[in-house]
Amino acid sequence: MFLTKMQINPRRRGAQKLLSSPQAMHAAVFAGFPEARPTDDGRVLWRVDTHGSHRVLLFITSPDKPDLTHLVEQAGWPTIQTWQTAAYDGMLGSLRVGQRWQFRLTANPVRSGRCDGWNETKPLGHVTVAQQQQWLLDRAERLGFRIVPSQADPAEPDLAVIDRNVRRFGRGGTQVTISTATFEGHLEILDISAMQRSLTFGIGRAKSYGCGLLTLARPAANGMP
Amino acid sequence: MSVVALRLAGPMQSWGVGSRFVRRTTETAPTKSGVIGLLAAALGIRRTDPLEDLLHLRLGVRIDQPGELMRDFQTAQRPRYDRAGTVTWQSLPLSARYYLADAVFLAVVEGDRSIVEGLDAALRGPEFPLYLGRRSCPPAGPLALGVSDVSLDEALVTWPWLASTRVQKQRRDRVVQLATVRDAGPGEVATESIRDTPVSFDPNRRQYAWRSIVRATVDVTNPHGTAEPLPEHDPMSLLGGEACS
Repeated sequence: MFLTKMQINPRRRGAQKLLSSPQAMHAAVFAGFPEARPTDDGRVLWRVDTHGSHRVLLFITSPDKPDLTHLVEQAGWPTIQTWQTAAYDGMLGSLRVGQRWQFRLTANPVRSGRCDGWNETKPLGHVTVAQQQQWLLDRAERLGFRIVPSQADPAEPDLAVIDRNVRRFGRGGTQVTISTATFEGHLEILDISAMQRSLTFGIGRAKSYGCGLLTLARPAANGMP
Repeated sequence: MSVVALRLAGPMQSWGVGSRFVRRTTETAPTKSGVIGLLAAALGIRRTDPLEDLLHLRLGVRIDQPGELMRDFQTAQRPRYDRAGTVTWQSLPLSARYYLADAVFLAVVEGDRSIVEGLDAALRGPEFPLYLGRRSCPPAGPLALGVSDVSLDEALVTWPWLASTRVQKQRRDRVVQLATVRDAGPGEVATESIRDTPVSFDPNRRQYAWRSIVRATVDVTNPHGTAEPLPEHDPMSLLGGEACS
């Protein structure tokens, strides 16, 4: 598996098209691979992170190395900056039970529900921060980790929804609506193989549309046990 | 120099600068014409009276809670009575009016001690009803926060965060960054000019002069913050990242 980071220039028209439609970004990311099918190792997942108003980063995990020349030409800085790809397997292999990591995840929290007049249930997006947090907390154990208690208030989990959105975009004449939530916090690994699967195959729905990619980073200095 | 601090909060606010015809827009922060107008109303100055002392005041605004932009598509009608006594309803031009819903601002007005104290007293016992930019937007809670002997810039940094507890709890960081819009000082390079200094509110001949403003940010402590600001999440730093392209 490989992890790729590319910085996007949000001032460019090409970038604005990609950032406004997850469908367009999906096509652009997948065009970076000759064969983007899922393998036994994992599948292609991507996520757009924004820090402040101008720093926009695209992260991709994939079984093969991508070639993002076309993306850099449309939406990057072609003459000064390209992209970074690093092998992910070493990091995946070094995971141990009990390790603490800082994590970030953009997901599509849904529940199945039925409104009046519907014959069958459909996935409906969770609306409030509390619902979205509960959605992740309910799944954490199955995904191979638990959210550690917060430093400030041990009764609360160290979990924050730092961004929420309802994305609407066109797909072949119809409109797709997905509600997304970006989580940040600290987690502790409970089950290595489940954790590896969460990192390589993603979490939740709408994985083609920038949801489900969980990434780990060194915990904040004060977050260490 | 002394300052009087105002808390501008309400269900709706609307602060227009360049509204023309049927599109009545709002800025994202209170305007000088709006705040000076509010002070004039508190002092009991009529629209045709000269504004005198108020023209020399400096204004700085801090966006404590940005609120949400709200659009009101207005289809107002007015009744017309004919001689027979029947009523016909006449449509007024369809207009879009913009408001800020659920916003809270700190406005700081700087001037001589005597004037500022007069303003503080007037805000506590206003001559005319006070409103936030439009007549339909009454303030929630008292406006005047009191007089203090600091400069405008200092007041914008030192006043505690006025956002509601709910908003403060949502932002976990111990220190938050708030946007400010203030009059450029003498000799200072302005970032922007807007036509927002009131010269006369006379309904027959309203006059506004250009105003040089500086947009900046200040750091304010969050009493409900629990977390130190996290560094940027960078999963690549773990991998050593041999760059290839």
